[in-house]
Amino acid sequence: MSEVLLSIEKLSVALPKGGDRGLAVENVSISVARNEIVCLVGESGSGKSITAHAVLGLLPPNVTIAGGAIRYGANDLAHADDAAMRRLRGGAISMIFQEPLSALNPLARVGDQIAEMIITHARPRPTRAALDARVLELIAAVGLPEPATLARSYPFQLSGGQRQRIMIAMAMANNPSLLLADEPTTALDVTTQKQILLLIRRLQAERGMGVLFITHDFGVVADIADRVVVMRGGRVVEQGSVDEILRAPKDPYTKALIGAVPGKRPPSAAVREIGGEPLFEALGLNKTFVTRQGLFRPPRRVPAVRDVALALRPRETVAVVGESGSGKSTLGRIIMRLIEPDAGTLDFAGEDFLKLRGAQLRAVRRKVQIVFQDPFAALDPRQKIGAAIASGPIAYGASAGEAMAEAKELLARVGLSESAVDRYPHEFSGGQRQRICIARALALKPLVLVADEAVSALDVSVQANILALLAELREEMNLAMLFITHDLRVAAEIADRIVVMQRGAIVEQGETREVFRAPQHPYTRALLDAVPGRRLFAGPGEAPAAAMSA
Amino acid sequence: MDTLKAFLRHPTGMIGLVILVAVLALAAAAPVLFPDSPWDMVGAPFQPPLSEGLLLGSDMLGRDVAAGIAYGARVSLMIGIAATLAAVLIGVVIGAVAGYFGDKVDDAMMRLTELFQTIPGFILAILLVATLGPTLTHVVVAIGAVSWPPVARLTRAEFLRLRGREFVQAAVCQGQPPLVVVLRHILPNALSPIIVTGSLTIATSILIESALSFMGLGDPNLMSWGFMIGASRTVIRQAWWMSVFPGIAILLTVLAINLVGEGLNDTLNPRVARKVRAA
Repeated sequence: MSEVLLSIEKLSVALPKGGDRGLAVENVSISVARNEIVCLVGESGSGKSITAHAVLGLLPPNVTIAGGAIRYGANDLAHADDAAMRRLRGGAISMIFQEPLSALNPLARVGDQIAEMIITHARPRPTRAALDARVLELIAAVGLPEPATLARSYPFQLSGGQRQRIMIAMAMANNPSLLLADEPTTALDVTTQKQILLLIRRLQAERGMGVLFITHDFGVVADIADRVVVMRGGRVVEQGSVDEILRAPKDPYTKALIGAVPGKRPPSAAVREIGGEPLFEALGLNKTFVTRQGLFRPPRRVPAVRDVALALRPRETVAVVGESGSGKSTLGRIIMRLIEPDAGTLDFAGEDFLKLRGAQLRAVRRKVQIVFQDPFAALDPRQKIGAAIASGPIAYGASAGEAMAEAKELLARVGLSESAVDRYPHEFSGGQRQRICIARALALKPLVLVADEAVSALDVSVQANILALLAELREEMNLAMLFITHDLRVAAEIADRIVVMQRGAIVEQGETREVFRAPQHPYTRALLDAVPGRRLFAGPGEAPAAAMSA
Repeated sequence: MDTLKAFLRHPTGMIGLVILVAVLALAAAAPVLFPDSPWDMVGAPFQPPLSEGLLLGSDMLGRDVAAGIAYGARVSLMIGIAATLAAVLIGVVIGAVAGYFGDKVDDAMMRLTELFQTIPGFILAILLVATLGPTLTHVVVAIGAVSWPPVARLTRAEFLRLRGREFVQAAVCQGQPPLVVVLRHILPNALSPIIVTGSLTIATSILIESALSFMGLGDPNLMSWGFMIGASRTVIRQAWWMSVFPGIAILLTVLAINLVGEGLNDTLNPRVARKVRAA
């Protein structure tokens, strides 16, 4: 084994008193050698981010290192003073974060921000010309076109992927020997994620860096890791080479996590009874967002949905797949009548849902219900769970007692105890809240359930449970589902039919198996190619066994 | 309950609360402590503080300064609270309508708000009282009319933020009528910053009332701190106590309300407060 760069030895990090556990990280030992990528994997709350932040002394206030050592060269970073840490940060050790927009200064040009990194560490201070040349070289090295133009841009003028490349350029500015990457691709689209992973891999190989890569996604792990460390509840449960961990995990928790990766299971059974006549049929839906840009500039027009036609049959599940900005969420909200389209019709049981007003609209509205992405934002923090679920039926004339009894039944059905009715949302975890949101949507006995990225914000094991719950409920309640997601693996698991959207328009639609087996549109093929972890996991729609032997 | 506990642990907030309770007690006990009307002559004019029977001295007409301060506390607090309620009522309604309906309604409401913001508030208040006549109700109306724009802007901003939130959209999808959505879901979640601004508005209302009385535009039947300072300003070099004690009363009351307001801000919006402390 080559030279060890970073060695975390028996690290423990204490949380402030009154936290949900005493130690955020307990007795964790990890090492990163030169020229290797170590992936730190775990679900939320596993302590993986705290471990990485401890390396650079970036722990939040009140969170302190309780024991152990972090050895980097001759230094113990667990006990280094501020001046020593400042010399290392951005110099020999640098870090990239999850959200590149909030990690960049919005008011400074990106070229200047890269230059600042160099000025802070390079001694003697380089000349202006040398500095400029180095900035352009770095921007070119991270694969961005026209470095000279780009250096003069502000962060808001760049796309998410470009911003993350700039962050990486900043991290590379002083030729670090160790790179810490905290979920650097989680906020990005799959196609962008693939490019960023390739970039990190390439830079690491060129420079012989050690990389500590934090992620929750085993697909990403399969693509990038040399070694894997699995964490749970602040402890390391298993570590080993990527092949050992992914192909032959020993710890039951690791097995469960890998088993929960969506798309690994065979796609949903094709034989489902689906009605013939469409339940609703949308035609020619169009929506353009117009933003005013000051007095003398023309308003900015963003076509979010363009000429979309979509039909949903009873009991059918249609997944609308696309990257951010593809208009899939706008489409969902138009169908919910939360956004009014500019043009188009939505034929719902013989009536145009989009033309209904007042009492007629209310009568139809209860038949279409929605589950949102973020279970933390989707529940009123000041409303008890019971009231949240019962208020829908009450608004439609059910008596309070009846509605509350039904709410209890629904809570039991989605796997929560009936006593939850008297509690507030903050007492529940993300997965439990999403169950509550599902119960709330189902309380009105809808015919159509719109699930807008309903499992995207959840940990992978919770995600698998919620998907299974939705699959059960749609059978029990004869639901048609419009499942909006950016994750093809999730879509493969639940959908009968897939609709692929790009820049507001539908580019391809068809039976799930057909779309995955023989994608017609180049964009669909690009999306499928970018699904992380194809090296080890089956791609959606493929037989897993074939992929394993490949 | 947690909020109350957190507030009781807030040091400066507690200091403010103690002073405020003292002022409230003084206002409540005024008729017991000083059974005579504050307008009655009770001694010789121009008596300095600590004269016999006159703790804080007497004024040009032999009226008790201490009695004036006690009765003035009632007027100041009453006008401060009533005017603030008026301002919050107007501000919340206008801000809520603007923020919830958006677009053209929002534009119209905000232009109206800006109209009020561009007129110097105090001059408008003088104008209103001078035109309508100096009675208690008109003073309250005048102060309310100049104090609502910040509340309206704040409410609008909160409504704009909350209107797009998913739990509000979920309530709309559940078929709840707009008024229920506003009153049950948006308003309760927008309330804490409004309470904080409201508490600070009480302090500015008291200052405006004092200034109006100072200029002789207060209700002539009510003893008020601003009136006492205004009446004695010509003799400030011979008899400092006539203006200094009411001045201190205004200072302490306004300071106390500001401290309580800040304490409320820290306890009701803990996330903002924590950021300030970490910085």
